[in-house]
Amino acid sequence: MNTPQSIGVVPIGDIPDMAPRVIVAHISACLNLEATVLKPIGTPSYALDRQRLQFDVGPILQNLESKPFKGVDKIIGVLSVDIFLPVFTHVFGEARQGGRVGLVSLFRLKKEPPGPDRLSPDVLQRAAKVALHELCHLYDLAHCENNPCLMHFSGSLEDLDQTPFNLCRYCTRFFKDALALPGRPLL
Amino acid sequence: MDKKMSIMIVDDESIVRESLYHWFERSGYRVDTAASGFEALEKLEEYPFDILFVDIKMPGMDGLELLKKVKSEYRDTIVIIITAYGSIESAIKAMKIGASDYLLKPFKPDYLSLVLEKVTQQKKRADEYNYLKGRLEKITRFDNIIGQSPPMKAIFELIPDIAASDASVLLTGETGTGKELIAKAIHAKSPRSHHPFIAINCGAVPDNLLESELFGHRKGAFTDAVFSRKGFLEVVAGGTLFLDEIGEISSKMQIDLLRVLEEKKITKVGSSEPLDVNFRLISATRRNLDEAITQGDFREDFYYRINVIRLHVPPLRKKMEDLALLVNHFLNKYSQETAKRVDRVSRGTLTLLKQYDWPGNVRELENAIERAVVLARSRTLTPADFGFLSTTVSRKKGTSTLKEMERAYILETLGNCGWNITRAAKVLNINRVTLHKKIDRYGLRAEKQ
Repeated sequence: MNTPQSIGVVPIGDIPDMAPRVIVAHISACLNLEATVLKPIGTPSYALDRQRLQFDVGPILQNLESKPFKGVDKIIGVLSVDIFLPVFTHVFGEARQGGRVGLVSLFRLKKEPPGPDRLSPDVLQRAAKVALHELCHLYDLAHCENNPCLMHFSGSLEDLDQTPFNLCRYCTRFFKDALALPGRPLL
Repeated sequence: MDKKMSIMIVDDESIVRESLYHWFERSGYRVDTAASGFEALEKLEEYPFDILFVDIKMPGMDGLELLKKVKSEYRDTIVIIITAYGSIESAIKAMKIGASDYLLKPFKPDYLSLVLEKVTQQKKRADEYNYLKGRLEKITRFDNIIGQSPPMKAIFELIPDIAASDASVLLTGETGTGKELIAKAIHAKSPRSHHPFIAINCGAVPDNLLESELFGHRKGAFTDAVFSRKGFLEVVAGGTLFLDEIGEISSKMQIDLLRVLEEKKITKVGSSEPLDVNFRLISATRRNLDEAITQGDFREDFYYRINVIRLHVPPLRKKMEDLALLVNHFLNKYSQETAKRVDRVSRGTLTLLKQYDWPGNVRELENAIERAVVLARSRTLTPADFGFLSTTVSRKKGTSTLKEMERAYILETLGNCGWNITRAAKVLNINRVTLHKKIDRYGLRAEKQ
């Protein structure tokens, strides 16, 4: 008998309330998982790269992994700052395969100009898609070749807008397998 | 995108290695990392990575030097250079050396995705090209007959002329030299190619059974003849009959076959009605039939009938220049068949294989490669993978005195160890100084490749 998986969505720094609530709603509706908004935590100033004026996702993930979030199996952190991986100019979100913590940044989800002001429905939808995508990586799902699949890689906002909220039939199967046997490599 | 592509990230900065590692892992690729050019080459020796992402600035061996080595040793490996803004000139230089693309750090994630898609398509096209080229070679190079040595080239040149005629052919040569393949090639190039090619090993079939196999029999012709049966001479109908080990058939069978060749008619066992037959005969033997005639073991009249065109297939030891080509061919064949990515042999291995006499010829070589591929633990076959040949290698002719045997054994061991003195000394259980002295005393030199 498997215990139902519970997801915690953590606001990091100063972000509009609506964003984590929309993400929680989409996790429940699209992936049928229990999700809650957790207590916010501060801006990760330790991860700021002063040359790039962006936040490095590596130290943020490492920091969140070390925190004891009780009562939840996986964590999705939501930030409004610009995040990056050292070789990339930016990322929309990041998660390690089979890890515990994933991140979503709202910073680049808005078309011109990028920034953390009021969120339109488009931005909220994109944030939810990135959160669901990263969450699936936490359940060991890899990028999918099928265009109409949540796990298809989206490198631009145009791609992201084309990406559906649902998984293709193969990824659905992998996801169900992952829930049945947590920790088992899938692909 | 092909999910089975394997990628190695070569960068001295762990943060870059780690970032890209996770990104590729999330995309379903097999990923590995190397912190230096030397480590990358070591890993390439073990596993055939499809794509290398190489940082241009690295201590020791820089990206350009690694690129040069990879392109000379592993032509099919795709290299993508990673460079920082400001070193665009090096990136252009890298493209000229053979890099498939370059990325300027930091780059957009979708740009990496596009580059990967591009090189994946490039690799797919190269794979398709290689596959089709292989197919084409099979069609045009007389099926699986491989060789560039002068005797093999002479045979390749003769095959189309022989195929065009309808004369009987006698193929001579040791066992395992590929006589049946040549017979098949003659058939495939002949006007009879749309009819059957039937091969019978006369040496493996008892004489009374061979008669029934060739001529067929009527129901009740003998005790076990419950049904009537067509013989191969009838079944071949317009095609080519290949009789291997023709030197082994009895005098009675030689007389029967001689009659068939003269009259183009057969009479089934138990029947008195002659039946018209139409076939071309290709025979093969490893025996010296001239000697057999002198000794009265083979009929001269039959010999002249089957020996209208004679083709001698040389043993492998007489065409050692074909060895590397054959090794590569069988390596490709068995890597594909066994789905093991073994695609290289070390220089020491080739030296070892050249030292061996190959009494079983190409067939023995093929079996040896198949065995080595099945049991191989890395992509490169080493002398250790051919350990089963070593006892025979050491029995090579001319090692009659103790000194000669010692010289031959040391030379063989050095070859097996790729002339690595430390390793060879360990195998021989002597110290390095003693080994150096013996090398000087016997005047041993590494064979140039």
